[in-house]
Amino acid sequence: MSLSTGGQFDFGGVDLPSVDGNTSILLVGDDAGALESVSYRLLAGEEPAALLHTQSSGRAVQRDLNGVQSGAGDNARVLTPEGAATGDDVTVVDDVGDLTSVGMHLSATLDEVQAAGERFRAGIYLGTDVAASVSDTRSMYRFLNSNFLTPIRRNEGLGVCAMDTTTDIGADVDSTLAGMSSSFSARVDVERMGRREVRLDTDDLGAAGQSVTLSL
Amino acid sequence: MVRSVLTVEQSDDVDALASAVDAEESLTATRCTSVQAAREALQDRSFDCVVTEYEFDDGSGLEVVEAIRETDPQTPCVLFTSVKPGEIDTASFEDLIVEYLNKDLPDVYDRLGYVVEDLIEHSTQVGFLKPDDEDERLEALREYDVEELPVEESFDRLTNLVATHFDVAVAFVGLIEEDRENFLACHGADWDSLTREETICTHSMLQEDVMVIEDISADRRFSDNSSLENLGIVSYAGANMTTSDGQVIGQLCLIDYEPREFSPAQREQLQQFAATAMEILELRQTVLDARATEVEG
Repeated sequence: MSLSTGGQFDFGGVDLPSVDGNTSILLVGDDAGALESVSYRLLAGEEPAALLHTQSSGRAVQRDLNGVQSGAGDNARVLTPEGAATGDDVTVVDDVGDLTSVGMHLSATLDEVQAAGERFRAGIYLGTDVAASVSDTRSMYRFLNSNFLTPIRRNEGLGVCAMDTTTDIGADVDSTLAGMSSSFSARVDVERMGRREVRLDTDDLGAAGQSVTLSL
Repeated sequence: MVRSVLTVEQSDDVDALASAVDAEESLTATRCTSVQAAREALQDRSFDCVVTEYEFDDGSGLEVVEAIRETDPQTPCVLFTSVKPGEIDTASFEDLIVEYLNKDLPDVYDRLGYVVEDLIEHSTQVGFLKPDDEDERLEALREYDVEELPVEESFDRLTNLVATHFDVAVAFVGLIEEDRENFLACHGADWDSLTREETICTHSMLQEDVMVIEDISADRRFSDNSSLENLGIVSYAGANMTTSDGQVIGQLCLIDYEPREFSPAQREQLQQFAATAMEILELRQTVLDARATEVEG
């Protein structure tokens, strides 16, 4: 179970140290399934969550979050181009490349959560799908700055953005990720070690050179 | 410093919006009640932030945002409206990014001033990424009194030497300020500065190694950048100028008007030249500081 205590965000079931509010984590790997599983582990907590998911329906995302921690999915709002909109929790956007619309939806969702006086966890899965859908990467950066990193900073939230290195984003992916890494609080590299096991490597969370194994 | 905010709202509500902005000591609001009036205001002067309603008789608030993005793309914009995001027509505005505030939320008028101040203070809608320790980096940059340092001739000689060594059209030394990159010396072109959003160095500075773009038309970070296109830039290599405490304050860069590759050895050489540029800057600053101490003594 993931609990946040003393103003920190904990990651239940993941052997990573708790982090303070206003922490943004860049998840990087070449296995989309592993990135998705790790994203859910980091985003499932007691706090409300808001997640832009580029590939799955809102209901599927909520189900998966509930599978990580009971109630986490019920307490999550999902923005997605897939499936049907349901209630206030799942919003469907026509095109993930329409960052004007996606940004306003994400901004409104996080503002509503913040206005209720709660801290939140916010996620983007997959950031590389967003990058691949825009013709000018500056739009992606403006979106990240305005609608993702700013609400996290302003409200002492936790943010997780997953990047799949196998996606063609129309730019040198290693160079792009090197740049993004310096703008996020931490980078965690995700490598699948077996069918149900991944390794997480990070130099930025807790002890330098930390490596942990996670069962999926 | 008082920051100017363009508030665009229907006539019945414009006073409430402007008053919410004016309530912050550091902000002063200019009122407009139509898209056309806002366009004219933007032509007359610059603003630090725009707060606009969505619905107007003569257009939409996104047209106001579009107008300021054309002239000043780094200016933060807030769409302040009761219209839900899903009801907003974005078909013609896919690359406009705004902060959305639902004006029906409780206390939103009380929060608006803080939000606007935060948007301006943190340059939250720029189209480039900043290092996580940007404040410390800018503080390190301020240690160098560039206006007073006699570095121009030294850097002119260095960029001349570098351009010849690598056989490139342009070589420059640039310092990366909060919003712009200012070129201290530029061999082969007459460039003074570019905005952070336009310059390739804003990406290069985030990387430890020399960054090479062999052909910017094949890279979406730069292929739609009309400023680079207008300057004729096709290929790029940039190395960090790093202070002794690890802050990247500038770049030594190579530009060519045709696609170029750079070998590992050439990249290492460029890094060495960048280190030399940094040493020149540090030594000049040390001499300036020593003279100031003598005068004070």
